[in-house]
Amino acid sequence: MKKALAATLAVAALVAIALVAGRAAAAPAATKDTAIVGTGSSFVFPLVSKWIPEVAKAYGFNITYSPTGSGAGIAGVTARTVDFGASDAPLSADQLTACKGCVVIPWALSATSIPYNVPGLGGRLHLDGPTLANIYLGKITSWNAPAIKKLNPSLNLPNLRITPVYRSDTSGTTYNFTEYLSTVSGEFKSKVGNSTAVNFPTGVGARGSSGVAGVVSKTEGALTYVDVAYSLANHFTFAGIKNKSGAFALPGLRGIKQAVSQLPKKVTSLSQLKIVDPPKSAGKQAYPIVTFSYVIVPTNSSKAGSVRKLVYWAVTQGQKFGPPLLFEPLPVTVQAFAYREIKKIQGV
Amino acid sequence: MSTIDDTAAPAAGQAATGLERRRLRLGDTLFRGLALTASAGSVFLLGWIAYKVLDLAWPSIQHFGLSFVWTEAWDPVTEQFGALTFIYGTALTSLIALVIAVPISIGIALFLTEIAPKKVAAPIATMVELLAAIPSVVLGLWGILVFGPWIAEHLEPFLQDHLGFLPIFSGSPSQAGILPAALVLTIMIVPITSAICRELFLRVPRDLTDGALALGSTRWESIRGVTLTYAAPGIAAAVLLGLGRAFGEAIAVTQVIGGGNSINVSWFATGDTLASRIASQYQGATSQLQAGSILYLAAILMAISLVTNVAAQLIVRRFEKARRAA
Amino acid sequence: MSAVPQTVDAYDITRRSNGLRRRRATEKLMGTLGVVSAGLAVAILALVLGTVLLKGLSALDTDFFTQPRPLFGAEGGIADALVGSAIIVAMCVVFAVPSAVLVAIYMAEYASPRVATFLRIVLDVLNGVPAIVVGIFIFGILVVGHGQSGLFGALALAILMLPMVARATQEVLEVIPRSLREASLALGVTKWKTTTSIVLPAAIGGILTGVVIAVARVAGETAPLLFTSSIAANQVSTDALHALPTLPVAIFTFSESADPADQARGWAAALVLIVFVLVTNILAKVFSRGRTGR
Repeated sequence: MKKALAATLAVAALVAIALVAGRAAAAPAATKDTAIVGTGSSFVFPLVSKWIPEVAKAYGFNITYSPTGSGAGIAGVTARTVDFGASDAPLSADQLTACKGCVVIPWALSATSIPYNVPGLGGRLHLDGPTLANIYLGKITSWNAPAIKKLNPSLNLPNLRITPVYRSDTSGTTYNFTEYLSTVSGEFKSKVGNSTAVNFPTGVGARGSSGVAGVVSKTEGALTYVDVAYSLANHFTFAGIKNKSGAFALPGLRGIKQAVSQLPKKVTSLSQLKIVDPPKSAGKQAYPIVTFSYVIVPTNSSKAGSVRKLVYWAVTQGQKFGPPLLFEPLPVTVQAFAYREIKKIQGV
Repeated sequence: MSTIDDTAAPAAGQAATGLERRRLRLGDTLFRGLALTASAGSVFLLGWIAYKVLDLAWPSIQHFGLSFVWTEAWDPVTEQFGALTFIYGTALTSLIALVIAVPISIGIALFLTEIAPKKVAAPIATMVELLAAIPSVVLGLWGILVFGPWIAEHLEPFLQDHLGFLPIFSGSPSQAGILPAALVLTIMIVPITSAICRELFLRVPRDLTDGALALGSTRWESIRGVTLTYAAPGIAAAVLLGLGRAFGEAIAVTQVIGGGNSINVSWFATGDTLASRIASQYQGATSQLQAGSILYLAAILMAISLVTNVAAQLIVRRFEKARRAA
Repeated sequence: MSAVPQTVDAYDITRRSNGLRRRRATEKLMGTLGVVSAGLAVAILALVLGTVLLKGLSALDTDFFTQPRPLFGAEGGIADALVGSAIIVAMCVVFAVPSAVLVAIYMAEYASPRVATFLRIVLDVLNGVPAIVVGIFIFGILVVGHGQSGLFGALALAILMLPMVARATQEVLEVIPRSLREASLALGVTKWKTTTSIVLPAAIGGILTGVVIAVARVAGETAPLLFTSSIAANQVSTDALHALPTLPVAIFTFSESADPADQARGWAAALVLIVFVLVTNILAKVFSRGRTGR
């Protein structure tokens, strides 16, 4: 009996210490009103991570963001379990209706890189759209296949099985990647299609940008599609992808900037923001797999005022944090579109 | 005597006054009511869980009906959903895990009860219990970073080299897939089933086994003929409980199974189980039908768990009844 | 059998029999298999624990325990997850244990045998509900529309803990001799006073053991927290009305990452969790031995 009491007191003491230590270490001025919770795209997570402390400095907002995939961002803001959702895929008409009065605002711009883990190549891998589509359709299964050899005559391609890695969660990066593949391969479009979650016929699935990067780092012969910031952070080599000019473009700032150079002068709807596989006029270095990332905000909510400030900051001052992470600042036309959409959010 | 509160109890031999009697009854009634509320609440909670799962799954149940259960499809683009891939994955990983785990568990239990001297048995029993205490997320972490790569680099090539003519060992070795998931489940099931088996074997009446030995059977023959036969229903129950545990495991499985979408004959291929698919896709379901379909998977999972659970309980109850009658 | 036995010792005769040789061989084989099985289990345990220990120790430093989980590309630790887990598990105990004890009391003291059996079945079925389904349940009835919170996470864990503690308490209550209750009632003590002042204190050791074991189980549960308390700020917080980071979910996230630093943090966090589970299990053993032995 005494032992039981003593042990219970010990446990209670531990919990008390944890609570006290927690209170002492907790961030000051974190009142409920300034706590903004968002979730969604892991693609944009590197940039949002940079924004969080900056916004705290600027407005005292306490932002919580968890990368759970674009689908979870859309679902979360629709169910109002979070204050804003982040998605690299625009909302369909059905999703927009279900969200009941949400605006979709582009707030970041970056590229989907194609990193790979093939040792001893002796140079950067070159791929093109149809080859990539065939890899993910399971029609090309080995790194020394003739189609790949044709694009990389000088490389040392091993007889190694290709493991295509895809996102098992609902992902805006998948949307971007499959949009590109559906554009360049009719077979891919009819067999797999373009969506945030598709039925890939072959390969290994992993959760989150982090997850697919993890599988590639551990599996020889693997390749995947992931935001270029993750490739950089994990020191992956990514492939050069053949664009309409015939050059093998890279997912750097120049590649991204050229890819969005053909946008209309005034952007009035999100459907005008299709930028995969840009035309020849875009530029020699235009990278074919570029995407905007969007924030989805309910126009009417208790947090509308704070979120409005956050989004405005993000599309203006926030953009300068992008380049080191290979997020290209929004083009002026898109920024103007963003301003018009932000105005629709109620609040101070 | 000193622990009894004298204000509540009238002195022995003295009748309680009306007021006192009412106060006593009130206390009893209130307390009984509280306990009853808690119990009724538990029953209500179980019913509510079942109701809510079905309610959230309704859009999909209505749309697909029962054919969902035997449809192999999971395509959010065309909104075609079916549970067959995941029922197959659940069944296959759990069965592989059972086939490996049950003999090992019986072996461990026999070792602890028959072979090992007490001094050795106690620490080993503790170690097996510790294996049960490892949280599944830690096993999954170990599975992703250590076990999976080992399976892909050593185990699967070995199986393919020696038994590659079997279609289940065809295909290319992979760190994520049915086999790694099944082996992780094996590690989870073994402690549970071996603990139950050990309890069962300890309860076998000594005179039965002594009798067998006196008749000239070897130790193993007495174990096989007496202990195992006597404990067979209990072992069956243990198997079912282990099965239930394997069915419901979402986290460790989703970490190592690779999120495959179709049924593959090879055990090296990726796949998915009911629980694992729910864990990886529920938060991201962006259409009513997809969310409903994932809950439909949850309803199937609940039904399967319920059946194995109830079956295990029935066996135990019949076992107890038979033994009490004997 | 050809030779005439020298002695009448039956053992001597049968030693020359082929049948017995085969049976002996089988016995030896089975014995070896038993040893191998036990050895395998111990080896796996050593492998898993050993890896966690080796890889986890290298990442343990003061920063690990004082810094919150890192944002992308930053340094960090698990301070926020530790605090979050402690709060959620503590709340879970507060929610689950009183209700569980009350259910057990009803089963042991008030219910008819039929009702008691029915409740036992209900509790066993509740115990068998997969943790992920419990997570979806709480998500569906509470998180939708209100957002995640540590409170909801604690409720989900409490649903898991309830059947465990209720069954353990019920078993302990049944072991307490009827004579204790009857003596108290005969002296005129009310039933509820008997239960709370006589029976419960006698059972407290067993109840605490059950609670401690349940805490060890529940502290490592990830699935229910995935939907109820996973979108949490990367800073130490005690605000249970918002989502709190937790140790199991942190390990889950670290385990899938490509970043070796994240993986190292995962191992270290796993080490902390395992140490906690181990310590609580040892605590439970101490309780139960203190009760029965002396």
